[in-house]
Amino acid sequence: MSQMDPKLFEIQGSRTAETEQMGRPSLSFWHDAWLRLRSNKGAIFGLVLIAIIMLMAIIGPSMSNYTYKEQNIKHAKLPPKIAALEDIHWLPFDGRDKDGFDVYKSKEVDQYYWFGTDDLGRDLWTRAWYGTRISIFIGVMAALIDLLIGIAYGGISGYYGGRIDNVMQRIIEILVGIPQLIVVILFILVFEQGIFSIIMAMVITGWVSMARIVRGQFLKLKNQEYVLASRTLGASGGRLIWKHLMPNVIGPIIVTTMFTIPSAIFTEAFLSFIGLGIAPPEASLGSLVNDGFKSMQMYPHMLIIPSVIISLLILSFNLLADGLRDALDPQMKK
Amino acid sequence: MVKYTLKRLFYMVLTLFIIATITFFLMKLLPGSPLTNQEKLSPDQQEIILDKYGLNDPVPVQYVNYMTNLVQGDLGLSFQYDNRSVTQMIGERIGPSAELGFQAIVFGTIVGILLGIVSALKHNTIIDYAATTIAVLGISIPSFVFAGLLQYFVGVQWQLLPVASWEGFEYTIMPTLALSVFVIATVARYMRSELLEILSSDYITLARAKGVSAPSIMIKHALRNALIPIITLLGPLAVNIMTGSLVIERIFAIPGIGEQFVRSINTNDFTVIMGTTLFYSVLFVVVIFIVDILYGVIDPRIRVSGGGRK
Repeated sequence: MSQMDPKLFEIQGSRTAETEQMGRPSLSFWHDAWLRLRSNKGAIFGLVLIAIIMLMAIIGPSMSNYTYKEQNIKHAKLPPKIAALEDIHWLPFDGRDKDGFDVYKSKEVDQYYWFGTDDLGRDLWTRAWYGTRISIFIGVMAALIDLLIGIAYGGISGYYGGRIDNVMQRIIEILVGIPQLIVVILFILVFEQGIFSIIMAMVITGWVSMARIVRGQFLKLKNQEYVLASRTLGASGGRLIWKHLMPNVIGPIIVTTMFTIPSAIFTEAFLSFIGLGIAPPEASLGSLVNDGFKSMQMYPHMLIIPSVIISLLILSFNLLADGLRDALDPQMKK
Repeated sequence: MVKYTLKRLFYMVLTLFIIATITFFLMKLLPGSPLTNQEKLSPDQQEIILDKYGLNDPVPVQYVNYMTNLVQGDLGLSFQYDNRSVTQMIGERIGPSAELGFQAIVFGTIVGILLGIVSALKHNTIIDYAATTIAVLGISIPSFVFAGLLQYFVGVQWQLLPVASWEGFEYTIMPTLALSVFVIATVARYMRSELLEILSSDYITLARAKGVSAPSIMIKHALRNALIPIITLLGPLAVNIMTGSLVIERIFAIPGIGEQFVRSINTNDFTVIMGTTLFYSVLFVVVIFIVDILYGVIDPRIRVSGGGRK
């Protein structure tokens, strides 16, 4: 077989139309992330739970006829009682205390307190959801302020590099060494107790991790070709940062923020617990748990209800954040 | 390595100096003095008391005195307890806190490692899901909530263990459990992902191809590499246990540093607050320092790059 006969072959053409055709519809970044998030059962569970808890935090306090600070000593320490569930005795909503004694009957109370009342006769349903509102507010605000400072600081440090970066990093290195708890406690001792102080105290040390992440991403991205191309075309620093770098950093930023929220909620609860948080008659989930401890032996509902809500809240944020991490930035997955 | 250690040491001292300074000036900003609870004293008596605490000196002098004493380990006198030195108060209470912290970290690490191994070996089975769920719950449920539920069910309802106080080993079980939940969860999560990565690497496949038995692969090849990085977790875990001890000691009425700290906050005993704050900071900064250096010793890559892991 010396040479093949050219007649054996047939010209096929390049069929450009077929090879260039899109195999499947193109997906935007967000659409793709959503598809990945949707397949994560834990994350969806977290998302639904957050939605429910947030909804209750918004409408819950106005569903009952009481306000969060209205006291009624005659109705103090009532166990939970819900109209539709009061005849199901294995559920803790039948208005009986832990010995099976119907307190509502003996105190001649006609109203229904869905989550019972505390030792001053305040309605715990209202207080629990009101407290949830405060806790979520603190968590979200702290995370958002962290986000703003972190992006600005990390962005400048990472984008400009050189001496500016050096100085800014030394500052961060010292801040990281200071235990957050200590700063938060000292800060609140010096300033007046309240929501604002708590948020500020958490932000003072909290923004550092966000700044580090943004800086790291910027350092990685700023030397990529597409940035260089844009710079060559004369784009300004601000435009480079906002139009080219930021969209690529958005994934890690969202994930970090989502992890910050539950940890801020936890820190607030912790502070309330050691007596530095929200002062009565205001309520947060942490202060409710703290109050619950005092009457734990006789009236466990005061402890258990806020405990369950805060645990579910932190759990669902953690689950969602885990899912988002996998969906938005598979590289960050450990 | 020496250069790296010295650099870390310098940062450690600098950080401690800054913490001490911030603490001092923040405390100066606070309203309140040893006189707050004793309004009926004559001006002379007040003068004597202020002299005793050195509060009549100008602030810069106070600062220098404070720093000098600090270096010598003298944290000053308590505002609320007459003539008790803060150093002594901390010293008396360090025992229970140290015992609890030690138990929690040892117990938590061991259980966490086991849980991580099991869930990596039984990857994507019911056992794995159960272990992962436990880990997520452990990270999410605040330690004081867990302590409360434990105290209510185990202590009050079922009466298996004493509810509170500090009189013997059985009194340490519930607080240790409550403190170690987070440790267990963190270590288990870490161990699982680390092991999964290692078990799918080439040298494990090679060992398997050579006919090495499964337990031997696990112990000799996989575990060795997975265990080392756990050292880096010690820093964050130590912080978590310190934080946790504040509430746990209060819940279980344990005579430790955390309980005293919370009490000093509620009674405005500023010297005790300052002293304990510094004590915690030193502990924290030293733990981080040791972890960094240890890791540098074990993992040569750190020495070359001269920075912490990640």
